[in-house]
Amino acid sequence: MNNCESARDLLVLFAEKELSPEQERRVKEHLALCEDCRRELSGIESVQAALSDPELFLPPGYPWQQLPRALAARAGRITPVPRWVPSNLRPLGWAASLAASVLLAVGLIQLIQRPGRVDPPAIARSVPGNGPFLRRMESQYAREATARYLNECQDLLLNLVRVEQDCEGDGHDVSAEVTRARELLQRKRMLDAELRAPDVARAKELCDELENLLVNLSTSDDCESRDKLQLMQRFIRKEQLFLRIDLLTSELS
Amino acid sequence: MSRVQSGDMGAYQELIRRYQTKVYRVICGYHHDPEDAMEVLQDTFLKIYTSRDTWERRTAFAAWLYRIAINASIDRYRRRDKARKASLEDVMESQIQNSPALPPSRGPLDRLRQQERRRVLENAIRRLPRRQREVLSLRYFGEMKLDEIARALECPLGTVKSNLHKAVTSLKSLLVGQKDELSYE
Repeated sequence: MNNCESARDLLVLFAEKELSPEQERRVKEHLALCEDCRRELSGIESVQAALSDPELFLPPGYPWQQLPRALAARAGRITPVPRWVPSNLRPLGWAASLAASVLLAVGLIQLIQRPGRVDPPAIARSVPGNGPFLRRMESQYAREATARYLNECQDLLLNLVRVEQDCEGDGHDVSAEVTRARELLQRKRMLDAELRAPDVARAKELCDELENLLVNLSTSDDCESRDKLQLMQRFIRKEQLFLRIDLLTSELS
Repeated sequence: MSRVQSGDMGAYQELIRRYQTKVYRVICGYHHDPEDAMEVLQDTFLKIYTSRDTWERRTAFAAWLYRIAINASIDRYRRRDKARKASLEDVMESQIQNSPALPPSRGPLDRLRQQERRRVLENAIRRLPRRQREVLSLRYFGEMKLDEIARALECPLGTVKSNLHKAVTSLKSLLVGQKDELSYE
């Protein structure tokens, strides 16, 4: 190899010992003759040495030895949502779920269109086996509605932590967030019935916690002071709301 | 990981102990704020636990773990910091050229110089293009082989090699002006 350009294309992998024996031999031959490429290699090795610094990126004094236990304790409190369809039957389960949804929708349309009083529980009683099916559908609906609500709350919180100083003085324009908080509070009232379902019981605590924050936010002025905003942002961080919402929605989905 | 799948919390702790700093350093390629990085790290290990049933023995655990960490990092990064789009050249100007020129002393300033070296290098790594940064982080901080990186990133081995080459040469060019500060010899 007598071409510096070709040699330099291989120098990083040479330094990484990732070349084939033949390529390595050719690079070595070239290096023996070329001082510029030896200098280039020396620079690459300096970068490698710098990257091998074990302290790079690590915060000084962080108690790493405590993290495994703390995380294990938190993980232990997470109860995976039981699957109502076995994992090996998942494709079949989805198909069944879709078919059931269609059937339910058709049934509901017929019920709505039928004149006179209709009592859904009577139908459930009259058809043996409908009870468990309806309970599963209710459970699925509760999980989906809760996950959707939590995601929307998370979007609002994200906006809240990123809100910019738009008002005069040191005020922050949170008018859009205030409006959204009021909408989400109304949604929460409608969601309360779903939150009684056993499958979403764990989400209830978080939803209640979020409700307190929403109430606080919904009573804010359109231009909120920096101090109050920071208070809410600290609360979001301290309570790890983003992480908890992520975990719960992944459980629910 | 098989023991974790069967609910062994001791094995879960051991797994965290083994990988926590490696994963943290990979995540730091995306997050300047140590608190953000720490939250993503915790998120990653909790996700490992909640998704433990989805891991299959034939999949390399490290590749699976880092994939989760990278996804969590990108997700958080996109949400948190869309505005930060500084280029590698910006780093040269803002981080290196404007950094205080410390005297080449081997006295009590050595520690400060070491910290400065790290800061410059960390910022330079964060400004690499995403794929280069991922390959570099997985290689040096995750201590993975190139073929393992290819599997983790779901890309050809050749792509990994070319990105590693570009990443290291970019860092070298970037840091050449700081040769004295960055000499680890």
